[in-house]
Amino acid sequence: MTKTMMLLLALPATLVALPAAAQVMAPADYVAIAGASDLYEITSSRIVLETTTDPALRRFAQMMVTHHAKTTADVKAAAAKSGVAPPPPALNPLQTELVAELQAESGPARDAAYIAQQKTAHGQALAVQKAYAKEGTAPALKAAATRTVPVVQSHIAMLMKM
Amino acid sequence: MNRSIATQSAHGLLGLALLTTSAGVLAQSSNSVNAPPPPPPPAVSTAPAKPAADMQAVLDAMAALGAQPIERLTPVKARLQPTAADGAHAVMRRQGVSTAPDPTVTTKDIAYGSDAMQYARVYRPAAAAPGGAPLPVVVYYHGGGWVIADVNVYDATPRLLAKQLNAIVVSVEYRHAPEAKFPAQHEDAANAYRWVLRNAAAWAGDPARIVLAGESAGGNLAVATAIYARDNRLTAPLHILSVYPIANSDMTLPSKRDAANAKPLNTAMLAWFGHYWAKSMADMRDPRIDLVRADLHGLPPTTIVNAHIDPLRSDGETLAAALRTAGVPVEQRTFPAVTHEFFGLGKVVRGAYDAENYAVARVSAAIAR
Repeated sequence: MTKTMMLLLALPATLVALPAAAQVMAPADYVAIAGASDLYEITSSRIVLETTTDPALRRFAQMMVTHHAKTTADVKAAAAKSGVAPPPPALNPLQTELVAELQAESGPARDAAYIAQQKTAHGQALAVQKAYAKEGTAPALKAAATRTVPVVQSHIAMLMKM
Repeated sequence: MNRSIATQSAHGLLGLALLTTSAGVLAQSSNSVNAPPPPPPPAVSTAPAKPAADMQAVLDAMAALGAQPIERLTPVKARLQPTAADGAHAVMRRQGVSTAPDPTVTTKDIAYGSDAMQYARVYRPAAAAPGGAPLPVVVYYHGGGWVIADVNVYDATPRLLAKQLNAIVVSVEYRHAPEAKFPAQHEDAANAYRWVLRNAAAWAGDPARIVLAGESAGGNLAVATAIYARDNRLTAPLHILSVYPIANSDMTLPSKRDAANAKPLNTAMLAWFGHYWAKSMADMRDPRIDLVRADLHGLPPTTIVNAHIDPLRSDGETLAAALRTAGVPVEQRTFPAVTHEFFGLGKVVRGAYDAENYAVARVSAAIAR
C-alpha cells in the first residue's frame, strides 16, 4: 500500500476523532473577567445616572448598579470557597475606552451610547457566565455563574425593549 | 472551467482538512464555547499590503485595546475581543467625533423565533412620516464568521443604510456556532426573510421592494438567502449587496495567500471559524457555503464590495465571475489600501466612505421607482 493511500484511508478516522477536552477558563480567569464586567456595568451606569433625565433609563441604571454589586459579592464569596484570591476587579483596556466614550458624550447622546454599550456588554457577559456555568471546574464558582445567568438574561430582556 | 475550479477546490479543501486535522481534531468541534481552537495552520511569511494611514489607525487602536489573535482563543474568549468597530470608536473619540448612535435612525428589537438569538433589530429613519408611502426594506445579516460578533457590533452599516436609502433595515441576529452549527445560521436567515415578507407592511415597509445585504459571513447569507427565495418562490429581492462574502471554500485562492497575515482577518481565522461552524468537511462543500459552485441562475442584480487587504478578496472576485457566468448582472469593486471590516467605518476611513457611497448609490438605483 502506498503512503498516499494510507493517508487517504487514515483521513476518515481522523475526521471522526472525538473533540478535544474543553479548554475552560481557569477559575482565577473567570473571577477576573466577571469582576471586570461587573465593574464596567457599575461604572458606566453611574456615569449615565449623573446626567440622564429619562426616568426609565434611570431605573435601569440604578438596577444595574445594585445587581452587579450583588453578583460581584457573590463571585467574591465563591472565589474564597474555591481557594482563589483574586486582586480587586479592574477594567480592561476596552472597558476603560468605553467608559471614556460615555464621559465624552452628554445629554440624550450619552443615554443612547450607554444603551448601545449595555447591549453589547450584556451579550458578552452572558457568553462568559453560560460558558463557566456549563463547564467551570471550581464548583462554588460554577454555582455562582449558574445563578448569574438568569440575572444577565433578565437585563437583556429589558434592553431589548430599549 | 468548472472542472478546473472543482479540482482546485478539492485540493484546497484537502489542504484545509490537513491543516485542521494535524493534531487529530477535525474541522469540527463540540458545541461548547470552551472548545479549544484548532492547531494553527503553518506560518506563512507573506507580508500583507500596507493599509492607508486612516485604516492603520483603526488597526492600531484595536491592538491598543488589547486585541489577541482570535485563532488561538476559545469561542467565548474570542467573543470578548475588541472589534474593528471598537477600534473605530476609539479613533473617533480621539478626533472629538461622537460615538453615540445617530439619533436620526431609531431601532426596535423584535423576536422572529423562539431561540433567544432569533431576533432582529429594525432600523427606521426617524424622519419617515407616519402614514407616508411605504419604505423599501433591506434585510441585513451581520458578520463574525458565524461564531463571534452580533447585531450590536455591526450597527454602523444598517444604521447608515436606513438613513441614506430612507429605508427600513432589518438587521437579523441568528444562532451562532459552535452552540448551533451549520446550517442553523442559513435556516435562521431564511426564516427571518420569510418573517420580514410577512411583517414588512405592518412596519410601513413595502414587501415588494426588498433588498438583501450582509457583510462577511452575512454577505454569504445575503446571497444564500436570495437563492433560497428563488428556490421557494418567495418574493425576490430587487438587489443583493454582498460585502466581502465568504463564498469560495478553496483555501488556495490568491488572497488567502497574499493576505494570509492581514488584520483584522487572517487566513488562520477562516480555518478557526470553519472548525466551529462546520459539522463535517462536507459542509464546506455545501453550495450554501461554497457559493461559487451553487446554481446562481436567476438571482437579482448584485453588488459585491471587497477590500484589497483581505483573505476573502478572492471569494468576492470569484463569486462575481460565477454570477456573471450565470447571467446575473453584477458589479464588483475591490477598494485599495483597506482591510476586512473597513465597510461601515466611513466616519474615520476614507476608503470606507467611498465604498459606502458606492454601495448606497447602487442599491438606491435598484429600489428607485
